[in-house]
Amino acid sequence: MRIYFERSGGIMGLKSSLTLDLDELPPAQAGTLRLLLDESHFFTLKEDLSTRSVHDGFQYIVTVETETDTHTVHTSDTTAPDELRPLLQELHQIARSQRKPKV
Amino acid sequence: MHTHHSKLCITPPHMLQEIVRNGSATQRDLALRTLITSEQMRGQRRIMKSMSAFITTIAPAGTKDRAIYDAKNGSTLPGTLVRSEGDLVSSDLAVNEAYDGSGVTYDLYFDIYGRNSINNNGLKLESTVHYQKGYDNAFWDGKQMVYGDGDEDLPPAERLFNRFTIALDVIGHELTHGVTQYEANLAYWDQSGALNESLSDVFGSLVKQYQRKQSANQADWIIGEGLFTPNINGIGIRSMKAPGTAYDDPILGKDPQPGHMRDYVRTVEDNGGVHINSGIPNHAFYVTALELGGYAWEKAGRIWYKALTDKFQERSTFQHACDLTYETAGELYGANSLEQQAVKKGWDAVGITVGGDAPTGCLSTILGIFGIKATAEK
Repeated sequence: MRIYFERSGGIMGLKSSLTLDLDELPPAQAGTLRLLLDESHFFTLKEDLSTRSVHDGFQYIVTVETETDTHTVHTSDTTAPDELRPLLQELHQIARSQRKPKV
Repeated sequence: MHTHHSKLCITPPHMLQEIVRNGSATQRDLALRTLITSEQMRGQRRIMKSMSAFITTIAPAGTKDRAIYDAKNGSTLPGTLVRSEGDLVSSDLAVNEAYDGSGVTYDLYFDIYGRNSINNNGLKLESTVHYQKGYDNAFWDGKQMVYGDGDEDLPPAERLFNRFTIALDVIGHELTHGVTQYEANLAYWDQSGALNESLSDVFGSLVKQYQRKQSANQADWIIGEGLFTPNINGIGIRSMKAPGTAYDDPILGKDPQPGHMRDYVRTVEDNGGVHINSGIPNHAFYVTALELGGYAWEKAGRIWYKALTDKFQERSTFQHACDLTYETAGELYGANSLEQQAVKKGWDAVGITVGGDAPTGCLSTILGIFGIKATAEK
């Protein structure tokens, strides 16, 4: 299973992104992500969850690919459903921990 | 797809106006609150101004009304009320910064431009601090200001951002999004969006200069000084003096702002580069202010404020902004006055001529997606 995460906008207008292959992650981290995906009912979420334009807010795109299914959700800080927020927060934390100098 | 979040949209503004004029005191209060909060009212300043005579329930002119909330690292807004107007200083630095910063911003607007809060009718200034965890941002959600703590949950060596209330001009920036929403209501994409962003930078910067009592040539014209930790090679998030030079860092990359129309960035990201192309009108303001000298909020700020509140419209472009600030300067200071000439010089410096036909960026953005550079677009 792969997860693609992108965050854009914000007061700086910067984009950051992250691609994770769950099979290559430490089992505990992969387990947490699987749990958060389940709890978000990710594959039943509407694709467009960002319906309100917030000044300087972030926009998020999350895509999850399994062997049989692919689903993408577009959302934002103020419109993300509560069940999706823990997953967004976890993906943001991982993206932050992987910040590295651009070469 | 767009969803209307305000249930109040089902009552047309003209009906609400009737209630305000002819209803009972209670009906009138309710209708007024509805009008003020309704998204339909955004930008309908003509109606707002005609309504002001009926308004009885909001703070008297010049009275600040601030409220600071704590999201406690969650996403629920506004969160828990932690400091109201007149309350003693909090033990929480971010709370006090949000309180003091929205206060100074209120003061600039009231003392210099005679504006009573975001809606010019004493609207309560609401701010939430400690939004989410590791949230390196601040925003205006249509009703209030929201601030994250940056990377304060990481070890110092890994931190890139400090808390966002640290920068007074960022507070002025967010509050100004509220002012713009109630006035020109510039659409938040392409050039009107970049103009919206630029106005927030202009007045955010003026708030900082006003607090420091700095003249135009003493100010650094940096937006967001203090947001970066020493781990970042940069002085702030944008430079109005020299767009594109605020930071150049191995992790963040280089400040992407242009300061001239020839470098206009065509992109679909960031709502069409609203935080990128804002460098162009930002620099026009800077040049105008330097040309005029003295305190930038007095003349350049007054011209831009009047243009924002009386002239700019929802889809105004950079060319409109040039022509309308020029026109405003003529109205305020006389045709061919030094002030009007300074405005012209400001826009000339970024490649926009009064009465000209600078590209609007709309077609070029679309062509840019296909890798075609449009040079002749009008």
